[in-house]
Amino acid sequence: MKTKKSTFFTAALVALSLATPALAQENAGTVSYSDVEQLQSDNALAKRLKISGYIQTQFQKADTAGIASFAGGDFTSGIDNRIAVRRGRVKFLYDNENAQAVVQFDITEKGLGIKDVYLTILEPWLNTVSVTGGVFDRPFGYEISYSSSTRETPERSRIFQTLFPGERDLGGRLSIQAPKTSNWNFLRLDLGLINGNGTNVETDKYKDFVGHLSATKTSADEKFKWGLGASFYKGGFAYTTTDLYTMKTTGADKSFIKETVKKGDRSLRQYLGLDAQLSCDWALGITQFRGEYLMGTQAGTSSSSSSLTAANLSAVSTATLTGSTAGAVTSSNVGKDVYSRPFAGYYAYLIQNILQTPLQAVVKYDVYDPNTYISGNEIASAVTVGKKTGSADVKYSTLGVGLNYRWSSNVKFMAYYDFVSNETTSNIVDASTLKDLSKDRNDNVFTFRVQYKF
Amino acid sequence: MKKSLIAMGLVVSMMLPSVMNAQKVVCKVKGSDTCLPLSQKFAEVYGTKNPGSGISVIGGGSGVGISALLSGTTDIAQSSRKMKIDEKMKIQESGKSLKEVIMGYDALSVIVNPSNPVSKLTREQLEGIFTGKITNWKQVGGQDLKIIVYSRETSSGTYEFFKETVLKKKNFASNALLMAATGAVVQSVSQTKGAIGYVGLAYLEKDIKALDVSFDQGKNFVEPTVQNAKIKKYPITRPLYYYYISSKEAAFKPFINFILSAEGQKIVLAEGYVPLS
Repeated sequence: MKTKKSTFFTAALVALSLATPALAQENAGTVSYSDVEQLQSDNALAKRLKISGYIQTQFQKADTAGIASFAGGDFTSGIDNRIAVRRGRVKFLYDNENAQAVVQFDITEKGLGIKDVYLTILEPWLNTVSVTGGVFDRPFGYEISYSSSTRETPERSRIFQTLFPGERDLGGRLSIQAPKTSNWNFLRLDLGLINGNGTNVETDKYKDFVGHLSATKTSADEKFKWGLGASFYKGGFAYTTTDLYTMKTTGADKSFIKETVKKGDRSLRQYLGLDAQLSCDWALGITQFRGEYLMGTQAGTSSSSSSLTAANLSAVSTATLTGSTAGAVTSSNVGKDVYSRPFAGYYAYLIQNILQTPLQAVVKYDVYDPNTYISGNEIASAVTVGKKTGSADVKYSTLGVGLNYRWSSNVKFMAYYDFVSNETTSNIVDASTLKDLSKDRNDNVFTFRVQYKF
Repeated sequence: MKKSLIAMGLVVSMMLPSVMNAQKVVCKVKGSDTCLPLSQKFAEVYGTKNPGSGISVIGGGSGVGISALLSGTTDIAQSSRKMKIDEKMKIQESGKSLKEVIMGYDALSVIVNPSNPVSKLTREQLEGIFTGKITNWKQVGGQDLKIIVYSRETSSGTYEFFKETVLKKKNFASNALLMAATGAVVQSVSQTKGAIGYVGLAYLEKDIKALDVSFDQGKNFVEPTVQNAKIKKYPITRPLYYYYISSKEAAFKPFINFILSAEGQKIVLAEGYVPLS
């Protein structure tokens, strides 16, 4: 009986397996033209939605435990090594010809963050002018909008992290670029009007202007490609106290001198930037040079030259002003006097693809001087008039060397070492190596990163 | 003895199919419409000589082929223009290295409707026509007839080459009709009296007329022929490329070798292209 059952079962299976291809063939034979059209239509619809992203997991080792670092954030007190998900990005782009919508999230062990939320509309007549609204990269310079998944180094330069924390801001952007068929396609102009408050809720009535004009050309033999750009930023936030400090010389003193300002008036953030890029395809592989120089005036606090956005805003108390300025300012930087500094900085990259191999060597040098008015032992020196400067006025330079191995179109390995040097001053001596600035701090950082891009 | 002979025969007969299949190639070729007829012929002849091969060839334009190579949806990108430095950087970014092979040359031909009495134009006149400054055939010695400009789409390598070489990088007329495929340019020009367009030499047929062109301000007009292109007399000649990822080369190396062989180059000539030597 058992044998009979198993024979019957086997026969049924064979019959079924024989019938399946026959059925499939029959179905294949009945595919109509309208079915194909429907498939094509569905495919075209599906193609409008693009999902992409990348995950960066890394191990880092610092020279000293607990150092402040621009290589992915400060190290926790007492800790000199860490494993982290540096970035976990997922980007959704819906592209319907002349209109796009983009939403991008960042998911790491620190939680879920919103990176991009914007829409772009391209006018359909000349295909030249587009308007973007929402949270997007500030159109300033080259490094801000260069994707972290493509960048050859772990982080952006110190100067960009300081002036443009988080890279994004909330506002509107007008972009002008002729279509590819035009001879003027090599030029691009981006003009933005933004809150100037990062991705935070707006806290004052003022809007910041930001613009970037760039030109890109390739040689006829496709061996060279160059790009040049100029950027401008003008903005500021509302004063929440009546004290503004600016650098001045009084006798032998170079110090912060107090000026009286009106609460609710606007502080000054004004930056000028120049950027240049050159790529060359030659016998040793593709070589790239990239550089950018920035200068201007930054409105910071006594302890930091970082733009008053994101983290440092949320770190202080929240209040609403009263009296004549009521309604003008509801800032979270209430109570912080503004310290205005003239700054300058730059970075330079040399990137060499090693022949036709997946290996790529990179050398980067970047400098940020938050206060060009003073240097060396002038920093934090005792003054008779005004307030003395401090650790927020120290210049830093970073030499980074690294090697990238592009294992596949998805996976990239990066080994990178940051040699960080600080300007020294005999006026900031501290027993703690984390605070002492009389000599170069031991704050170099090694990063080993694995990236998966999809 | 007899037994060992039979055994040997069996072994040889068993090995034969595998020897024959050693040249079997299965791959996808995508890209330039200019290269399309040639690649199709290569695939056809190679497939006949090497049973079991399956080489599919699709057009769409050089840009389309190179994009497909970047995204890994084709094995070989056929292109009538050189790969751009940005595209090479994207390939390297994915950890791959690129191989470039020139399979032949093409003489880019300017075509008009056969009823058009104009038979030759200078580069300057072509520039005027395709940029929209010359709008009537009578301005270049023809009939009082409006000029209808046909061009390929921007993803076409032929489009880029024509713009660079003939128009000296100037823009096409805003009313130029951009066609998705070379065949569409041929068909439109053959059916439109005042039409002008440009196609690869292999696309010339009786329903369209190729013009002689001059690149020395009208001193010498040269007919687009294989011979004139071969001796470098015809001024609008360009190489035709195959691009592929080096690490995948082994899978279709016999096919590439065949193209570069004397037999392959005979096909180049027979199909109306210019062989390598």
